[in-house]
Amino acid sequence: METDLFDGEIVRVDGLRKTFTLSRKQQRTEKTGLKRKIAVDGLSFTARKGEIYGLLGPNGAGKTTTLRMLSTLIKPDAGDAFICGESIVRNPQKVRDKIGFMTSELKLDGFFTPDYLFNFFGEMHGCGKEELKQRKEELFARFGIDRFANVRVKDLSTGMKQKISLVVSIVHEPEVIIFDEPTNGLDVVTAKVVTDFLLELKNMGKSIILSTHIFSLVEKLCDRVGIIIDGKAVADGTLQEVCGGVTLEEKFFEIYRSVKGVEE
Amino acid sequence: MKLLALMKKEFYRFFHDPRLIVTMLLPGIIIYFIYSVLGSVIWDDEEKNYTYDVYVSGESQITAVFDGLVEKGTVKFIQTEDVESAKEAVKQEKAAALIVFPENFDELVADYEAGSSPVDSAPEVQIYYRSADESSYSFYLLASGAFGKYQNRFVINNGAAYDLSDANEISMSVMGGILPFLVVIFIFSAGMSVTLESVAGEKERGTLATILVTSVKRSHIALGKIIPLSCISAIGAASSFLGVSLSMPKLMGASVGSVMSSFGFLSYLFIFLLILSVVPLITALISVVSAYSKSVKEASAYTGMLMILVMVLSLVSVFVSDIGGWIVAVPILNAVVCMQNILAMQFSVWQSLVSFGLNFVYTALLVFAISKMLSSEKIMNGS
Repeated sequence: METDLFDGEIVRVDGLRKTFTLSRKQQRTEKTGLKRKIAVDGLSFTARKGEIYGLLGPNGAGKTTTLRMLSTLIKPDAGDAFICGESIVRNPQKVRDKIGFMTSELKLDGFFTPDYLFNFFGEMHGCGKEELKQRKEELFARFGIDRFANVRVKDLSTGMKQKISLVVSIVHEPEVIIFDEPTNGLDVVTAKVVTDFLLELKNMGKSIILSTHIFSLVEKLCDRVGIIIDGKAVADGTLQEVCGGVTLEEKFFEIYRSVKGVEE
Repeated sequence: MKLLALMKKEFYRFFHDPRLIVTMLLPGIIIYFIYSVLGSVIWDDEEKNYTYDVYVSGESQITAVFDGLVEKGTVKFIQTEDVESAKEAVKQEKAAALIVFPENFDELVADYEAGSSPVDSAPEVQIYYRSADESSYSFYLLASGAFGKYQNRFVINNGAAYDLSDANEISMSVMGGILPFLVVIFIFSAGMSVTLESVAGEKERGTLATILVTSVKRSHIALGKIIPLSCISAIGAASSFLGVSLSMPKLMGASVGSVMSSFGFLSYLFIFLLILSVVPLITALISVVSAYSKSVKEASAYTGMLMILVMVLSLVSVFVSDIGGWIVAVPILNAVVCMQNILAMQFSVWQSLVSFGLNFVYTALLVFAISKMLSSEKIMNGS
């Protein structure tokens, strides 16, 4: 490990910056003459072990880009982040074994069955056969996947597919679980299963980072929250520290207006 | 273990999808039936037990290889000194072939040391025949095969213009010459049908990214694709190759047996090795294009252009004689030319071995390139 956990810090994000080159078409769509867009601009925050940290922000704020950098899918232009002490820049392979990443952009091949995919991704993370078998029984029963274990994923409902993605992303019992918009596109029943499971994971001592634009989800699940607007962290702390006696929604819009310079 | 799991996944994907299996095997079966039917229309079904009247100019002990056939009356040698009249007789189908031995041929053969003497100085036997004539071509194959065991001591028909058929007649025998070209095209099309879907398809659907967030090495992902996809492409190519090679003699009016027996074990071994080196190379090439492309559609457009390029170069090599030794450095084309040489009985061991080795080096370089591409967010995420 490059750095020891300091004061329970399991994820330390340190000045992350990411820019993207805009194509001419994208420049026209975004009505800008700039060739590069700053998606994340010097973002720093800390998530502690056993807590749920929420990244809250509007669409295009840089939440997904941040999570993609943390999951090592893309590299930051500047800055670094440490997950369980491992650098996402210098040790991305080690980071991948410590995290479970779930996002709508990562798909499962519909040709395979949940049973096959669970075993396959377990092997990709280097899990043993006995360990996998035990974990599969437990997780499949927990999410009601056991009845569909041998049905091809393409023949299952959207909710069931989401549950399988979730189960597959944590097949290797990661220390840190990163969820991009965990309840997006889910029906109320499946969304409840997912949120309950996140709380259960937290009770099991896992650390979770999630991104969302839903205030109630943050209020219900998160111990700490970071508000991100235009790629910059504009607030960070426990819910009480950030809100200061008002609701999260009220506080968010107060910050949003001050950052964007919008009159009341 | 991770590499094994990745490979097993690709095999599982193929062998559990009946549609993929059918599309892979069907071309070979269709080719076999079309060529066979075409052949039976072109050539009537006469008795194939020919008797050959063969003119011989000069003398050599090696004609003893035909002693058994001479006794049976299958081969009748007619000694002649008038080479031009004999050629005319072959042209007019009055004789099956004309064999010309240079003066003191046997002594020249005894003096020639394969390996140390220059190849140009090797004694040469000339066999004039007509590829368009069933009986003549059949004798040519028989003689080339029989003399084949002396291959290191002398050369047969060094150069062109020994086929006395006219241009139209030759067109049928050219079909035999383009067999290696067809093999490469079959490997290409078999490779395309599985590789585009497996690499560009997985990238487009986002299932490749799911594997990229696991701790598996990028080089293992690349190999986990190339190895099984090469095996699967080889199955498809083998089906097409069998379809062509079994039906080609029918199309050309010769029997499968006579064509097969004209090539020695070494020829078959080297053709097999050359195909073995080309399959992973083509699979890796299509994988690079697929990994670079954003969608299956884009990848198939690029691969189509690549296939046309290989087709044109391979076809050109059929008609260009005396290509220099530099050809061994050109991936894919080296195998095409080597296979053509083997089939034309102008087989060079070193050329084939170097081509075989170099193709594997090129494949390794492409696997390395794919690993790098899998690590590139610009290529994988388009950002």
